[in-house]
Amino acid sequence: MPKEKDLKEDIEKLKGECEEYLNGWKRAKADLANYKKDELKRLEELVRFANEDIIRDLLNILDSFDLALQAMEKSGEVEKGVYLIQNQLEDLLRRRGLEKMDVQEGQLFDPSMHEAVMVTDGPDEKEGLIAEEIEKGYVLNGKVMRPAKVKVYKHQEK
Amino acid sequence: MAKILGIDLGTTNSAMAIVEGGDPKILENVEGNRTTPSVVAMSKSNERLVGLLAKRQAITNPQNTIASVKRLIGRKFKDPEVQKDKKISSFEIREAADGGVEIKMGDKWHKPEEISAMVLGKLKKDAEEKLGESIEEAVITVPAYFDDSQRQATKNAGEIAGLKVRRIINEPTAAALAYGIDKQKDEKVVVYDFGGGTFDISVLEVGDNTVEVKATGGDTHLGGDDFDQLIMEHLIKEYRKQEGVDVSKDPLALQRLREAAERAKHELSTSVETEVNLPYITSDASGPKHFVMKLTRATIEELTKDLIDRSIDLVKEVVTSPTPRGAGLQLSDIDEILMVGGQTRMPMMREAVKELFGKEPHLGINPDEVVAVGAAIQAGILQGDVKDILLLDVTPLSLGIETLGGVFTKLIEKNTTIPTSKSQIFSTAADNQTSVEIHVLQGEREMATDSKTLGRFILDGLPPSPRGVPQVEVSFDIDANGILNVKAADKATGKSQSVRIEATTALSKEEIEKLKQEALEHASDDKAKRELVDVRNQGEALVYTAEKALKDAGDKIPGDVRKEIEDKINDLKGATKGEDAAKIKNASESLSSSLQKVGQILYKKDSGNSEGGEDEKTPKSE
Repeated sequence: MPKEKDLKEDIEKLKGECEEYLNGWKRAKADLANYKKDELKRLEELVRFANEDIIRDLLNILDSFDLALQAMEKSGEVEKGVYLIQNQLEDLLRRRGLEKMDVQEGQLFDPSMHEAVMVTDGPDEKEGLIAEEIEKGYVLNGKVMRPAKVKVYKHQEK
Repeated sequence: MAKILGIDLGTTNSAMAIVEGGDPKILENVEGNRTTPSVVAMSKSNERLVGLLAKRQAITNPQNTIASVKRLIGRKFKDPEVQKDKKISSFEIREAADGGVEIKMGDKWHKPEEISAMVLGKLKKDAEEKLGESIEEAVITVPAYFDDSQRQATKNAGEIAGLKVRRIINEPTAAALAYGIDKQKDEKVVVYDFGGGTFDISVLEVGDNTVEVKATGGDTHLGGDDFDQLIMEHLIKEYRKQEGVDVSKDPLALQRLREAAERAKHELSTSVETEVNLPYITSDASGPKHFVMKLTRATIEELTKDLIDRSIDLVKEVVTSPTPRGAGLQLSDIDEILMVGGQTRMPMMREAVKELFGKEPHLGINPDEVVAVGAAIQAGILQGDVKDILLLDVTPLSLGIETLGGVFTKLIEKNTTIPTSKSQIFSTAADNQTSVEIHVLQGEREMATDSKTLGRFILDGLPPSPRGVPQVEVSFDIDANGILNVKAADKATGKSQSVRIEATTALSKEEIEKLKQEALEHASDDKAKRELVDVRNQGEALVYTAEKALKDAGDKIPGDVRKEIEDKINDLKGATKGEDAAKIKNASESLSSSLQKVGQILYKKDSGNSEGGEDEKTPKSE
């Protein structure tokens, strides 16, 4: 016949183990639940990221398109169809959430949207304002995909 | 438990990583980038900018944009390094009361550690946002040549940013940790770190969990940016030769060219030729001009050869010069070479290092991230990985049953974490088959005969029915102790049989390795064998379907069509007896196309009764 004290010890020990195992089980279940959530999020991100990648590569082509049209306009009439193709491309990208930044001369330079690649002499009151857009900027679903490259007015220090 | 952040506080860029679930992981900043420029600025409107934003406005505000503060941290103002940097800095620096350096940003004078703290503060905040928990501790890396004062200042920077700095570790040591070579005994390691703006060489002696820095060297003003610059200059020069136009005066052209040069450099690390294609780069009197130029790997290698040669000379010097200037070793004494920094992706650079030591350098971990990864690993060690109450085992080998044609069909793949269970429905291979044998197998081979038998049992009492109709559910269940229960149940009658196998994991490590090795060696043989069986099974199923179709259709089928099909059935039957998979396949395809005629005829006659074929796996018949 085991002593009462021993039995009590056993119970305590078993209680402890029970607690430990239950916790471990809960933890494992929680881990799995969390993993599932993370995995879902990761998959979504993966799809988005894959899209982002290809859209990023397309920006250079959009640039070239703009330049081509500018050059053609200069030398004469541009076939309307070419504009339509440009529209098609821009429409497609807009549906995916791509927006062209609207940058104007005299707008305040904002490093969260713009990247200064040059400065130019300007009057005092224009200090820190955008002088010229050099390369177009794009926003994808609210996130800056490529900052607009700009020239900024800077009053030369005396 | 709060996590400890691993931080690579770089001269030009910084990165951070964390250990999660036992694996180090780089954390992105809020802008979504894996590295953050180590730049801080005070804007005109007295707004403090850190990282990418500070970098973007740098040229509009050079006096208040602080970059490369790592070159100043913990140094005396009189230090020749500081004096050298003072000449090229766009911001103002002066001597502090204690002899250190002070930097002017906005209206205030700051210590370099305060500037570094702003970078660290951003990393901390971004990491907290990303992880959704607060970060209070960090491991920060510094170059191996940093002295006590520089290390202390870096530590202070962490504390100012609100981080308890658990440890300052050397960048090359972090790289060694990331590659897991810190545990090896008595090895000499060279870390070749070619960053954006600095080139560091370290010679380490690794032994029994200790890492000793034997020598350091390099060039604090040599980096990947120099490569970009050379490539761009080359493009401009070539274009001038080709078209007589100088594009360096046109800001848009220059901008596009700069991006294209960097892209070309990256591409030429993996391919030998690329094309820089920039339509409408500029225009002159004759109209628009395009920039189309082929750039080969050989060209950029020639352009940058001097830079690489210089780095190799420096390595030689650091390794072979007598102490204390160098490590006093022979090049052949070096056991391992680690490549760190984005520029080390360049194949010629790797080749040059390989040639110098006559050994392959370690690759594999992203060279831009390897230091941060190492810092995170150190953080993980300090953190003392959360005690795993539940140690989960895995099945070392795949488990499954034998199916038609002696194929080993796996139900539980190797390396599945246990406890686990899996079930699959099987059917019969012959008409009126009333029993199935469940042959439980273990191994990595494709065929049952090459695998280990764990047990077998018979499930009988299936009601007689055509092949493929009965549904026998076979379920495998392994409990936490590795005990396997296999059960087969007939869905129609509810009859079931099972077997309990105790010794699924009672194989020694060597046995398991041997079995895996065998599987690897026989992989292609096994695959061919397996394919043959699969093709043969499909062929036999087709013969069955065809015969049944002929029987069901009766005299609705004209004699010539019937004859054609019967001939082809015989061809296929003959083929399935042989070993030629292609022949079986051809005969199957041929029969299958003729069989379609039966369908067409029957559909024309009446649009009823059609029979769907089954493609289920069927256990071996008794």
